[in-house]
Amino acid sequence: MANYFGLSAITNFFKTISSHGGLRASLAKMYRMDSVRMGTCVGTDKYGNKYYENKSYFYGRNRWIEYAPYYALEYDGSQIPAEWFGWMHYKTDLIPSQDPSRPQYKWMTDHTENLTGTPGQYMPYSTTRPKIEAWSPTKA
Amino acid sequence: MLRFTVSKVLNGAKNGPKTLTVLTRWQSDQAKKPEKIEVFIDDKSVMVEPGTTVLQAAALVGVEIPRFCYHERLAVAGNCRMCLVEVEKSPKPVAACAMPVMKGWRVKTDSEMTRKAREGVMEFLLVNHPLDCPICDQGGECDLQDQSMAFGSDRSRFVDNDFSGKRAVEDKDIGPLIKTTMTRCIHCTRCIRFASEVAGVDDLGTTGRGSDMQVGTYIEKLFLSELSGNIIDLCPVGALTSKPYSFTARPWEIRKVDSIDVLDAVGSNIVVSTRTGEVLRIMPRINEEINEEWLSDKSRFAYDGLKRQRLVTPMLRDSSGELKPVDWEAALLTVGKQIKNAGDKIGAVAGGFADAELLISVKDLLNRLGSENLCTEHVFPMDGSGTDLRSSYLLNNKIAGAEEADLVLLVGTNPRLEAPLLNSRLRKAYIHKELEVAMIGPEVDLRYEYEHLGADPNVLKNIASGSHAFAKKLKSAKRPLIIVGSDTLERPDGAAILASVQALASSASPQEKSWKVLNVLHKVASQVAALDIGYTPGVEKIRNGNLKVVFLLGADEGAITKEDLPKDCFVIYQGHHGDRGALLADAVLPGAAYTEKQATYVNTEGRAQQTLVAVTPPGRAREDWKIVRALSEVVGEKLPYDNLDEIRDRLEQVAPHLTRYGRAENANYFKQAAALAKSANLDSTPLDVKIKELKDFYMTDSISRASPTMAKCVQAALKQKEAKC
Repeated sequence: MANYFGLSAITNFFKTISSHGGLRASLAKMYRMDSVRMGTCVGTDKYGNKYYENKSYFYGRNRWIEYAPYYALEYDGSQIPAEWFGWMHYKTDLIPSQDPSRPQYKWMTDHTENLTGTPGQYMPYSTTRPKIEAWSPTKA
Repeated sequence: MLRFTVSKVLNGAKNGPKTLTVLTRWQSDQAKKPEKIEVFIDDKSVMVEPGTTVLQAAALVGVEIPRFCYHERLAVAGNCRMCLVEVEKSPKPVAACAMPVMKGWRVKTDSEMTRKAREGVMEFLLVNHPLDCPICDQGGECDLQDQSMAFGSDRSRFVDNDFSGKRAVEDKDIGPLIKTTMTRCIHCTRCIRFASEVAGVDDLGTTGRGSDMQVGTYIEKLFLSELSGNIIDLCPVGALTSKPYSFTARPWEIRKVDSIDVLDAVGSNIVVSTRTGEVLRIMPRINEEINEEWLSDKSRFAYDGLKRQRLVTPMLRDSSGELKPVDWEAALLTVGKQIKNAGDKIGAVAGGFADAELLISVKDLLNRLGSENLCTEHVFPMDGSGTDLRSSYLLNNKIAGAEEADLVLLVGTNPRLEAPLLNSRLRKAYIHKELEVAMIGPEVDLRYEYEHLGADPNVLKNIASGSHAFAKKLKSAKRPLIIVGSDTLERPDGAAILASVQALASSASPQEKSWKVLNVLHKVASQVAALDIGYTPGVEKIRNGNLKVVFLLGADEGAITKEDLPKDCFVIYQGHHGDRGALLADAVLPGAAYTEKQATYVNTEGRAQQTLVAVTPPGRAREDWKIVRALSEVVGEKLPYDNLDEIRDRLEQVAPHLTRYGRAENANYFKQAAALAKSANLDSTPLDVKIKELKDFYMTDSISRASPTMAKCVQAALKQKEAKC
């Protein structure tokens, strides 16, 4: 009944706010993530990112990530490690801890995020001789 | 090999075709020209002087006959046979380059017989020429390529498809400048003739005959001459190519800019080839008044010095005493503050590469600040009329005029290495016109014979008084020249030498009124312009001025050292190379080299010429006068010119000849200068020159000192010298 008149939207609204811990916290979440959604946390990766799912949203919107707090506003998709990538992109419905077929070798390296635009970014260097060689002064 | 052609022998070796063209100017004063004769080239009538060759006559009506061995500035060899043409009623085709025309000849340059002869010659040349055009540096500017397209047969009879092999010749090592691929040689012998006739280094020659003929140096030897690079231009094929330029670019990729050379005071005209903002090579541009079509090796090959040791950013000396790169704003503000504090305690020293625009802007700036301490690095005596009369410091009779002299007295100069192209003129006159040369100074190798009068400057006095045997010769000479080297005038008794030379020059009695006896040969490109603008030669003023700021304009020859200046003196260096000057400096302002700016230079004859921009200055370097203009605004004495036209207007105000490009204004106050000259005692220390041998020639300024090619040349010259003894 409540669903029929669209009242569930109102109840959901209040439920969502209370699930985030009040209006202030919800606004903060809104500010950081541009949406405030209610869902169940299915797991956390080693970087502190939390993965949520809410099946009542339509497919494609029903899984999301809440980046670890220390990323603040500097988060992007490349911070999702490879083991969570498949679940986030609907390649699999099994979260990493439930998937027995995933090999774990000790030679596997840690995930690195895309460092473009940061001091750690990859800079290709030129191997060609400079056209002009500048004079470097020696101490007189 | 045969040096005398048929025509030369026929005419008693006296007025052969080549000597005739060379002599025309000289002979103009001789009475009676021989009557002209009429010949027909492709049925076009042309009147020519007797002794003209078929090839020259054809050139007069605009018909160019193909050739490989013939070159208008070299003796006629007549061995490539490419210039064969049909002459009516002659059973065989005639070699146009060597055959003088006869009255009424009808020459057919495009008949069946001529074309067949050319095709035949072309075929024989290509039988033994490698098909390596795709990897040959001459590709695109190769005479053989062009002429085989234009005159060769349109089909091949080459049947050696199983490749039994073409003629192959071992490559020669003839030095660090010229790369040889002797298999490509077609035996035109241009290089041999150039070496023996123009360069005067008779090292090249041929061995063997027929298909065993080889061009080489007989024994393993380097071809070292100050003009050696010209055989690269002369070679019609890719046998001789430039070693530094090898495999760099193709002629159609290159942008060519006409410019002026500044590595000596001759002001040779050059073409700068560039691609992607890089100078790839420098080649001569024809200017009959100056360099004909030759270029000295330093001017041609020192361009790689423009890419090394460059000043690319302004620098300031920090508290730890090190030069640190800064941006223009910081540099100009610091320099401006120092100049403001100095007031009129400021001076400038102009080095060898300073252009007229820079010189005038610095002079204007310093004059506005109340200073007259404007000096050039190179000394010139200031006693008597000093530099007030232009005739005292110019090569008054012009470079081309040296060819017409009949007696030359060289005073303390080595023209072969100080001005190679002037020396090539003297050598030409020596060979073709029996020019007599005498020399006071060190006994140097000029590649022609001369009478050595000793190194004692007092010989000048003896000649003037008539007690020396040479005095008679000088008196009786019709076109005498006295060439004084700038090295000599830098001596402490330079004024006395100049005075006695002036006296000597006025005692000579040239036949023509307009003939000028006194000539001064400078060594650096900026000197004449600096003296014209009003700089004081020598750095005495800087040493004695107790100055607070000294502005070095590319002064790298070490005329000023730290010890000459007060301790708190702020030194500004503006130039394009990090050399001795930049090491002294507290502030470095990067300027542009001669290939990077449009600037005026005045050569030793007093001829103003301008360089054009071939590449942009590297990094944060800027055109020199613009730096001074910007600085003037910071100092608060804004100079009234904002663009090149305006600064050239200013140049014109000061000295109108500075903007009359290509013209050399005459200077005529010899008598007044001689009258004003004070007679002083001559030192008895023997006259000397700085550049005595080839090894001293290559590295003389900040550009050539930075050039790896020039360093290799010095090594080669030293090696050759060791091998000899």
